[in-house]
Amino acid sequence: MTHPGRTSAEVAAPNGGTPGHVLLIEDEPNIATAIAFLLGRAGWHVSTHSDGTSAVAAVERHRPDVVVLDVMLPGRSGFDILAAVREGPLARLPVLMLTAKGQAKDRERAEALGVTAFMTKPFSNAELVERVARLAARGRVA
Amino acid sequence: MGERATPTGARIRERRLTLGLRQGQTAAAAGISPSYLNLIEHDRRPVAGALLGRLAEVLGVDRAQLLGDGEPELLDALRVAARQSGLGDGVVGDAPELVRRFPDWARLVAELVGRAERDRARIAALSDRLANDPALADAMHEILSTVSSVRATASILAQSPTLDAAWLRRFHDNLDVESRRLARAAEGMTGFFDAQGERAEHGTPAEVAQAFLSARPRPEPGGAPADVRALVADLPPDARGLASAALERDRADAAALPRPDPAAIPADLAAAAGVPVPLVLRRIAALDPARGLVVCDAAGAVLRRRDVAGFVLPSAGSGCALWPVHAAFARPMHPIRTYLATPDDAVWIADAAVEVAAGTTHGPVLEATMMVTRAAGRADATPLPVGPGCRVCPRTGCPARREPSLTGAGQDGAGG
Repeated sequence: MTHPGRTSAEVAAPNGGTPGHVLLIEDEPNIATAIAFLLGRAGWHVSTHSDGTSAVAAVERHRPDVVVLDVMLPGRSGFDILAAVREGPLARLPVLMLTAKGQAKDRERAEALGVTAFMTKPFSNAELVERVARLAARGRVA
Repeated sequence: MGERATPTGARIRERRLTLGLRQGQTAAAAGISPSYLNLIEHDRRPVAGALLGRLAEVLGVDRAQLLGDGEPELLDALRVAARQSGLGDGVVGDAPELVRRFPDWARLVAELVGRAERDRARIAALSDRLANDPALADAMHEILSTVSSVRATASILAQSPTLDAAWLRRFHDNLDVESRRLARAAEGMTGFFDAQGERAEHGTPAEVAQAFLSARPRPEPGGAPADVRALVADLPPDARGLASAALERDRADAAALPRPDPAAIPADLAAAAGVPVPLVLRRIAALDPARGLVVCDAAGAVLRRRDVAGFVLPSAGSGCALWPVHAAFARPMHPIRTYLATPDDAVWIADAAVEVAAGTTHGPVLEATMMVTRAAGRADATPLPVGPGCRVCPRTGCPARREPSLTGAGQDGAGG
């Protein structure tokens, strides 16, 4: 299956086209497929991971520019993973939490743990791609 | 409040003598012992509920005539309602006059207030369920996840006119799978709300079982055991097991102690009969409508109750933290007998004791039982001020208050 490539109408990759690396931690396969397609079309290299238990190890192994993190994952919640990442060697890594748990208390909990951005499902494709690009740019500046 | 208790017993005696009936004759017709009727007639035992109805029937009068100033349970309900509405003591004191002059209106007021309180408790329980129900959380998560997948996939298809055939097929397949999943999740959610609606109308399984048990006629001393399975057959399945277990326990209690002496001290009776004190309390309360009963687990949840006029027991929640039924857990080997004072200044004798309800590999599961009896004379000691549970308790300055009352007591913080 070939990727159709990105079009000019879509969000530019960070720093004028330099491809970045996104680690997508998401256990819903069809959502993962759609997001990987969208980010790939925007120029990103996308790795996917579906298991909560080994997610922190996956982050440290891939060392991505941005992590897109679901909350409800098998084995370990996204909140726990975020907390572990913030205490590890990649503590400043931009993390976008993307979750169906969109209540104010969930957002507050994520912010207390140091999330970089928070989006709720269902999400806009364009907004997701744009937020990832912004996070990566911010991470590079930092 | 301090109104004198109506001499119902004296009215019963007077009516019996007018009819020329002997005490034994009247007692037998009402299904109680002559000695117990004697206690009632001398106002040493309160009389209310079904027993009062039977005595009124035997004596050929309306129960209101025996009650004189008005039904005590109706008066209690009106006083609580008046306090809940913030009315002053002067208005609260008019309750007997209201019952005397407009009994039907008085009953209507009490019924409406009671219904409002039951609805409030039901709404609170339903709201709590909706906020915390894990089944609802799972169903909502499933729907949002599926909608996310559908939306992301559909947007890609709509905004990508030049997708290659392999991606196109893959996204179409995903859309097909996710739309089916969404339909199933929506059906599940509909089923969830149908079940919630059913529960909102009829109550939780525990509430349904308790309502069924409360509506059952009291057993006769030494009466034949009922077919429990047939009795509970019409209940919803999730309430059937609870009601069945309660009735089986009633049956076992009756077999162990067929005819307890209601005038005996429960701990003495238990020692003489070689049975646990809680069994004695349950058995006496089962036979005598003048006794109230509460059975709690160690978390304070009310597992079983038998209502008695004047001692308000909550239809939901855990009652008053000062009730000896809770203190009994702290001294499981020692039954408690103490005096209580309800907010209307009535004095009650409370007997409470703990027993092992079940065992686990980590230790026993304890259950506490409390029986309350309106004290006939003066208390031998200062009674402990208690209430019906914080939500409807008018007391101020209570150290055990955990939430403000609907009456406004405790609005300024714990302790009222």
